[in-house]
Amino acid sequence: METLFGVIVILAVLIGTAFSVIGVIGFIRLPDVYTRLHATGKVSVFGVVLLLLAGLFWTPVSPGKDIVLIGLLLLAAPVASHAIASAAYRLGIPAQQLSRNDLAEVAEQENDPTPQG
Amino acid sequence: MIETWVEWTLIFSLAVHIVLTGVCVWRVWRGQNVIDRLIGADLVGTLALAVLVLIALIERTSIYFDVALGLAALGFMASIVLAKYLADQRVL
Repeated sequence: METLFGVIVILAVLIGTAFSVIGVIGFIRLPDVYTRLHATGKVSVFGVVLLLLAGLFWTPVSPGKDIVLIGLLLLAAPVASHAIASAAYRLGIPAQQLSRNDLAEVAEQENDPTPQG
Repeated sequence: MIETWVEWTLIFSLAVHIVLTGVCVWRVWRGQNVIDRLIGADLVGTLALAVLVLIALIERTSIYFDVALGLAALGFMASIVLAKYLADQRVL
């Protein structure tokens, strides 16, 4: 049983480390803010959560804290990414190779100075 | 036998994560715009969380998970508030 848990921990840690490395390489190499944000989302959702899954098998005490931390990360990381992307859009930072902009109509309606009704 | 392999894997992963944290700190220093630096700061917080989890796994104690919980909650709020402040030029 110890051997099986050890193999699971080694696999989870190696895959999580690979996701972290890929995320940071994407953060360095990708062309604009939004694609970089897309790459860094992988680091928290896959990298750290896989390390925490390894901790679920390897730490002998208190799996409750581990599960709470996994839930907190799965809730918090996408919300933070969406907030940063919204701030970037409202600051007017340009995106490269934008094929379609769904937010343009919404921004026009919000900035419409004509009174309603 | 398997414990030795797991320990070496964890130490290797710890070294990789420390190097990645250094790369992100360099990126925060030499960012292209302010949102780029904010993403870098968020990523530094996430990688510090990973380093804390790896130290907890190497030492086989759960006290580092408490630190990681506090860091995750406060880092999340810091990212949200900084993004809102940059977009609106006010906090509330």
